[in-house]
Amino acid sequence: MATEIDVNEINERIENIHRYLNKHKEYLNSLNVFPVPDGDTGLNMVLTLQGAMANMKNFENQSMLPGEYLKNFAEQMLLNSRGCSGVILSLFMQGFAEVVKNSDFSKQNVYRAIENGYRNAYEGTENPREGTMLTLMRALKEKYAELMKEEEDPIVIISKTIPYLKEVLNQTPEMLPVLKQAGVIDSGGAGFVVFIQGINRELQHNGFGTNGLSVPTLLKIGKATRKHIKMRLSKFKNTPFAHLISNIDFSRIQNSRLQEILQNVRKITTNLSVNNHVNSKKTLQKRIINELEEINNLWNPDIKQKYCTEFVLESDKIASKEQLREMISAFGDSLIIIQAGNKFKVHIHTNKPDDIFDRVQPYGELVFTKVDDMKKQHRNFISDDVIDYRRDKSIFCIVSGKGFAEILQKLGADDILCYGKNKPSVDQLAKGLDNLQAKNIIAAADDGDILMALKYAVSLCKSNVYIVESDNPIALIGMMMGISKDYDIMTMFEEAMKNINTIPFCGIARANREVLADNEMTVRKNDYFAVYKKKIVLSNPNMEELAVEAIRQLANGCGLVTLYKGLPSRKENGLVDRLKEQFPDTDFEEYYGGQYNYNYYITFE
Amino acid sequence: MKKKIFIIVGDNLGLSRDQIDYEDLEIIKFPVLVDGKEYRESDEYSANWLVSKFEKENIVAKSSTLPQNDVVEAVERNYRNYDLIIHVVMSSGLSSASWKVAENVRKQYENVIPIINVDSRQALIGVGNVLLGIIDFIKKSDDLSIEEIEKLCQQVVENTYSYYIFPDLNYLYKGGRIGRAQSLMGSLLHIIPIIGIMGDDPEGIVSSLGKGRTFKQVNNQVVELIKAKMQEKSASKIRRAIPVSGYGEKNKDVANELIEKIKALPCDDLVIGKPGLVDAVYCGPGAYGVSILL
Repeated sequence: MATEIDVNEINERIENIHRYLNKHKEYLNSLNVFPVPDGDTGLNMVLTLQGAMANMKNFENQSMLPGEYLKNFAEQMLLNSRGCSGVILSLFMQGFAEVVKNSDFSKQNVYRAIENGYRNAYEGTENPREGTMLTLMRALKEKYAELMKEEEDPIVIISKTIPYLKEVLNQTPEMLPVLKQAGVIDSGGAGFVVFIQGINRELQHNGFGTNGLSVPTLLKIGKATRKHIKMRLSKFKNTPFAHLISNIDFSRIQNSRLQEILQNVRKITTNLSVNNHVNSKKTLQKRIINELEEINNLWNPDIKQKYCTEFVLESDKIASKEQLREMISAFGDSLIIIQAGNKFKVHIHTNKPDDIFDRVQPYGELVFTKVDDMKKQHRNFISDDVIDYRRDKSIFCIVSGKGFAEILQKLGADDILCYGKNKPSVDQLAKGLDNLQAKNIIAAADDGDILMALKYAVSLCKSNVYIVESDNPIALIGMMMGISKDYDIMTMFEEAMKNINTIPFCGIARANREVLADNEMTVRKNDYFAVYKKKIVLSNPNMEELAVEAIRQLANGCGLVTLYKGLPSRKENGLVDRLKEQFPDTDFEEYYGGQYNYNYYITFE
Repeated sequence: MKKKIFIIVGDNLGLSRDQIDYEDLEIIKFPVLVDGKEYRESDEYSANWLVSKFEKENIVAKSSTLPQNDVVEAVERNYRNYDLIIHVVMSSGLSSASWKVAENVRKQYENVIPIINVDSRQALIGVGNVLLGIIDFIKKSDDLSIEEIEKLCQQVVENTYSYYIFPDLNYLYKGGRIGRAQSLMGSLLHIIPIIGIMGDDPEGIVSSLGKGRTFKQVNNQVVELIKAKMQEKSASKIRRAIPVSGYGEKNKDVANELIEKIKALPCDDLVIGKPGLVDAVYCGPGAYGVSILL
């Protein structure tokens, strides 16, 4: 009979497997070409494990049967699964855990579990293809069955399947043409092997291709080769590039097709093993050019469905995943639906994520949504300065005043671009966004004039950016007061938009020329004026009198008046104390905002 | 035949004994350590006593886990007269030690009397609300199996939501219970945080629900949060609301304002909670809140 295990101990073991997978994350990302080369297979698998692990912390300090633990863990994997690879791995785990939930880990039952895991993953995948993670799952099942005849211990059997899994993995390019054309093995399949290896070996790192050149570097080599090889061969042989190719360390080129091409280039330049006949060299040259073009096209495909969309729908009105599939399959491709009770986890590539959400919302509650722009991810993936996303979501604020920068940071903004007097350039904004290393960013500025530059910067940056169209620092405070990073990114954005105009305020500034206000009031040069709802409402040569009048007219019985002091008034003291005397029933607070244009922002809450 | 059920609960429940209409109940008092000396709730050592010490002296207050011996003694005194014991435990996400104590006792008596440990996923008035919800169905139902009782307890837990306004989160932080609400700390701007413990959150820890700059704002936000939760759960009314305040004299008026707003919501039963000594360790002066059962 199985005995209970300490959850803390098994959590630690899972953490080790997660670390092992994480070590290989970049390698797995670099293989990702199918179904879309968006370079996130490794990340998705790691995030799937991470999400499940976070939820298993609920069981800390408890004991439970191992089968029970696995069942809970698999359920959490499903609910937290990310991307195609994460979902398929979770399906496998769900099927596996279903069989071993009785904690029977005999070699026969483990076989049944692997078989059920494979079947569950296969049946749960829309349009299952050979040469993917599914093939590796079947290979595990078959090899395990074969080894069962000679071994008793399931752990030993699993360990012995690994060399075979690697063999099958190396054959995936033969099964899925797109892999062969791109010169890679399947990323999901490789992830599955790493996962099994991690289970088997925990932290014993096996050097699974981690010193290879990055995808952008390989593509760059391919591009340069294509450019140089087009010249006359006799000329090409004497170029520094040809010299470079002849000295290249092929072990670092983990793209089999590119490796083969470069070896052919080397043959041309060194006359090795190639019929010296000019025609055969020219034929080889032509083939190299064609193949390099093919590789380039393959890594830069036309992405037809732009958004990798995932959501969890809790619904008592939808009876089966087939019913849900019928409702949404026309919206895109790569559709995977997993059902756990009345919860449906959906993964789909689409151009219309909002339409899908609108379609399903009347049927239940959307408890989680995620939309990734795959075109952006792809651009990031194949660029030289590829970004390793470290956060799922971040908040980026762009403000002029140092005081506001500090206030916003302490309210939870992840990064602030404090631009001072001169508005930030597109480049500064794009760098600021990229520096966050976040997949999704909420960006908001304190000046409407920055919006255009921000929009352009967003088109250059590598993250999904949601621009909050704010135009003053008080709006940013309202936004930060109203949002929480516990929300998913779409809800965060909705809440941000909802909260930017919640705090009434006026700004007090000094006129540097005579101004005629909308209400026919003339503001004389050097007088102070108050702006409320974008209109000049008051003016006075004395700032304190103006502030008193503004509060009298605009506070409308509010309980708290807050002054944010700007740079022009940084040396003034005592205004708040004098206002307190004038308005004894109102609470006053003063902070340094550091804004350049306004002496004070005054908020009424 | 209807089971005879005895209930055990810690005194961090925001209710006094006379507010609980159930005879077969024992409330075990949590030890509270003030500057190293142990106290338990009494007429003399109350929430107000501790809050006053917080305000006037530089004291360090902590609570200790419910002593296992106290729970064992409660079971020992009563098990012979009952068919089942239910122990309503504060959220295991907030105190895994309390949960462990409850589980140890359950295992110790597993061949003697069945004990259901209910992880309330709550603290303070939330525990009180779960307790009253369980008493409701025990009184109403006749012959329930242990599995049915467990299921009904879980339903009560998952339908209990608590909202608190803690003007100073340092008390919660020092007590190690800040959870996800840590993001509300360290603001330059003076903010009033709204924190909550949601029964549908399996982690059962403190979450940040919002923040405001005035009590009027946060009271309105709490009411809006409650309305949103009712809509989310398709609940047309609140089965029971337990507001609490009175951790010192501070904020009594704004706490009363919240009670008035709660009264305006559709609610079957409104019970005014009582601040306890052990609660005050984490709430600090001027805290108030409301727990609802949907």
